[in-house]
Amino acid sequence: MTRPGHAWLAILLACSGPAWAGTLEAYVATPTGVAVADAAVVAEPLSGAIPGKRTMDAIEQRDRELNPYLTIVQKDTAIEFPNRDPFKHHLYSFSPAKTFEIKLYAGKPVKPIVFDKSGEVALGCNIHDWMEAYVLVVDSPYFAKTGSNGRALIANIPPGHYRLRLWHPRQKKELPLREIEIGAATAKLDAVMDVAPRIVKPKPPLDHDQY
Amino acid sequence: MIFRSLQRRIVIVFVGLLTLVMALILALVTHNNGRVVDSEMARELSAGTHVFKLLVEQNQRQLEVAAKVLSADFAFREAIATQDRATIQTVIRNHGLRIGAQVMMVISPDGQLIADTQHAAANPSPFLYRKLLSVAESEGQSNGFRQLQDGRLYQIILVPVQAPQLIAWVAIGFVADDKWARDLSAMTGLAVSVVQRDGASAAVLASSLDRRKRLAMPFALPHLADNVPQALQIDDEPYQSIQLPLDQHTAVVLQRSIEQAEAPYRSLQSVLLTIVLAGIVIFALGSVMLARRIVRPVNQLAAAARRIEAGDYAEAVPSLPPDEIGQLAASFDRMRARVASREQKILKLAYQDTLTGLANRTRLLEAFERVPKDGRGAIAILNLDRFALINSALGHPVGDRLLSEIGLRFGHLLSNADLVARLWGDEFAFLLVGVDQDAATRFAESILANLRDPITVDGQRLDVAASLGVALYPQDGQDAATLLRRAESAMVAAKRQHKNIAFAGDIGDEQQHEQLSLIGEMREAMARQEFLVYYQPKLDLASGEILGAEALIRWRHPERGLVPPIRFIPFAEQTGFIREITPWLLENVIVQTAQWQKEGLCIVPSINLSALDLLDPGLIDHITRLIDSHHLPAQGLCLEITESALMEDPALALAHLGELAALGLKLSIDDYGVGQASLAYLKTLPVHELKIDRTFVDAVADSPKNAAIVQSTIALCHALGLSVVAEGVETSAELDWLVGNNCDTAQGYFIARPMPADELPNWIASYGVGPILRRTGWLAT
Repeated sequence: MTRPGHAWLAILLACSGPAWAGTLEAYVATPTGVAVADAAVVAEPLSGAIPGKRTMDAIEQRDRELNPYLTIVQKDTAIEFPNRDPFKHHLYSFSPAKTFEIKLYAGKPVKPIVFDKSGEVALGCNIHDWMEAYVLVVDSPYFAKTGSNGRALIANIPPGHYRLRLWHPRQKKELPLREIEIGAATAKLDAVMDVAPRIVKPKPPLDHDQY
Repeated sequence: MIFRSLQRRIVIVFVGLLTLVMALILALVTHNNGRVVDSEMARELSAGTHVFKLLVEQNQRQLEVAAKVLSADFAFREAIATQDRATIQTVIRNHGLRIGAQVMMVISPDGQLIADTQHAAANPSPFLYRKLLSVAESEGQSNGFRQLQDGRLYQIILVPVQAPQLIAWVAIGFVADDKWARDLSAMTGLAVSVVQRDGASAAVLASSLDRRKRLAMPFALPHLADNVPQALQIDDEPYQSIQLPLDQHTAVVLQRSIEQAEAPYRSLQSVLLTIVLAGIVIFALGSVMLARRIVRPVNQLAAAARRIEAGDYAEAVPSLPPDEIGQLAASFDRMRARVASREQKILKLAYQDTLTGLANRTRLLEAFERVPKDGRGAIAILNLDRFALINSALGHPVGDRLLSEIGLRFGHLLSNADLVARLWGDEFAFLLVGVDQDAATRFAESILANLRDPITVDGQRLDVAASLGVALYPQDGQDAATLLRRAESAMVAAKRQHKNIAFAGDIGDEQQHEQLSLIGEMREAMARQEFLVYYQPKLDLASGEILGAEALIRWRHPERGLVPPIRFIPFAEQTGFIREITPWLLENVIVQTAQWQKEGLCIVPSINLSALDLLDPGLIDHITRLIDSHHLPAQGLCLEITESALMEDPALALAHLGELAALGLKLSIDDYGVGQASLAYLKTLPVHELKIDRTFVDAVADSPKNAAIVQSTIALCHALGLSVVAEGVETSAELDWLVGNNCDTAQGYFIARPMPADELPNWIASYGVGPILRRTGWLAT
């Protein structure tokens, strides 16, 4: 069905709906046809950056996991890292887009972290190696991530030209950017993305007797 | 020679068997040891290989753990994440020291070597060990042995640095050097070497082996296949080896020294071999001793047997311990004693005359062999006169005692060098050593003189006379048989001539040779019908007619002409051939007589019977058959018997004579006057006629004494009812005298010579008896 080297399978644009807002429906699957979850779909307007509103987001730590796995935020968004576990965590990121470290803490850190640079940020916990989460910092408010069915929907996109970016923390290679036209109709996108399976790092059980 | 000796055979068999068994045991043990060593080797190698793999894996795990702990260190990760190469360089040095790694390298996720403790390179360069990387990319981590640029071998662990996603790879190297190899060797019990293989050449990177072997190893390596145990010769020492490839260019070679594995078995084998050899030696010595104990008595027995074989019965067989051989020796000794005594008896029987105790003929012949070849000697044969008469008159026991008495006397007469033997019957022989004719004569005379003393046997005085014939060595013969024969001839001649002593040299020997050849030819002569019958007419003096004729055998020899009977008949008698001649003669004569009768000629033929004929039990039947079958009356046949023929076995002769007389045959005593038979004896015989020997007839004309004897004999015969025949009438004077003295019949050349049968009828027809008798004036014409 797909030709090698062509990540974009098809972009079907339908010219329907109100003229003031468009919708993008994306479906991301692996070359073998498995739906890809947690893929970021970002439409960046070619007309210029849209200044972000200072918003808040949160990535919580529960049951020794970072949740959600992927968080997409517009630049300058502050993210809180509430710790819902009864013990401490030590979050860190060595990513160039945002390097930070929240040393052992419980509850909610004193300050949320503001992601003021677009890029990919890998988050880990220094004392729980398996804990892993990603933050994609983008210069656009139009983004969505695929669910477990591989589908993502970006609504209320003003019509216009956009650069479409697809990203996944475990993508095997970076997909080229592609421009699309968003009109009144819902634009449909089928994307093929080669993604390495998520490595579930061994997580020791909590049972004290066993550990 | 080796196997002839019983002792050696025993030793060889015993030791050979033991050696065989021992060799089998040794071979079995050796073979088994070989198998045990092989399987032990295989087991050790396999176990060692297993342990080696486990150790390496375990070691690797520990290293991995260390590497992972290191790579997870927050500060370390932080330092890597800074991407500041100088920082990274110091960090890896520092952290490498923490875990005791000799080499640390940091590689970017895209395969660029960022930092390396061995080289502080200015710019990132591609990481050389792609395979480690590719395995790590798919497996999460990787490890392997690599020879790094410093030429040393390292065990390298490649683990990711995650924060939490992969930010770099860190390679941690632990040197695998000889110490590492020795440690592993100590734990696996195998020699451990890591080798680099590059085509045909090989290099040892690390090894627990010593320097020499390590240097020798590359030469052996090309023969080694991967993962297959095989024997490898390293510096002349065999190793069971297995090669485990680490990667394309390196491999671990694990080795077990075959010699070391074999060592305990070798020592076991050498101990066993020593025991076996010692056992064989001890066994050999024991066998030798045993064999000696067995063989020594056997040898003693064998020596005794050889002595006995050589005729030495004197030495007793040694007495031995009372085992089987001892019993054999005892039996052997008894046998020796018995053989000795039997040999004595046999010798006695062989060489001694049982009657007289004198030597026998065999002994005499042997004794003669001892007469010096260049010396002189003589053999004399003595025959008693009239012994048969004594025997028949007084009985055999008296005769035997007489003979033994004579033997006793002769024994006293002889010197040591001489020997007397009884040959048979009344015939004795003397061997005289170193005598000439004179000495022999003197000896013979002394013998005869000695015999003149009467011998008393059972109270009867017996006068004994004898005739002696002497043959001298060397002139009369070279050997005992010849001398005996010639002495016997001489004795016979002496007896015939009524002399006491005759020498062989005096009677000549030519005749004897002729006789010898004649004897041989007689049988063929019979077959070739060379024998003829001549008839000599017998003139009946009362009637002047020829009423009978004496049948005389003649031999028409193809070369010698007509052979007279005296030349062969005595030998025919001696050899027994007469038993074939007489029946032939009887048949011939009877057939002829029957023929003549048919022709009208009545002749009573006389046939001479020898002593053998007379004793032949078949003779009477033969005669009976002949006269019956030819219808000849018994009275028509006359049998002439000499006195001596009667003397051989007087009793049997008399019995046969009686039967012949009973048949009606006419019986005549031949050669009367030569022997010693008295008329008194003759009258007891059933005979009808007496033939006076020619010697008397020859002498009647000129000797009144002879004439008186003949005259009285005729008178006596007539008185006894016997008719008288005079033989050898050669002159008319003799015939006249015989006619004048009432002799009944005359025979002789004057009347007629013997003539062939076919001439007789004509001769009789033409015989003018008249002229003869007329001349004597008997017949009035």
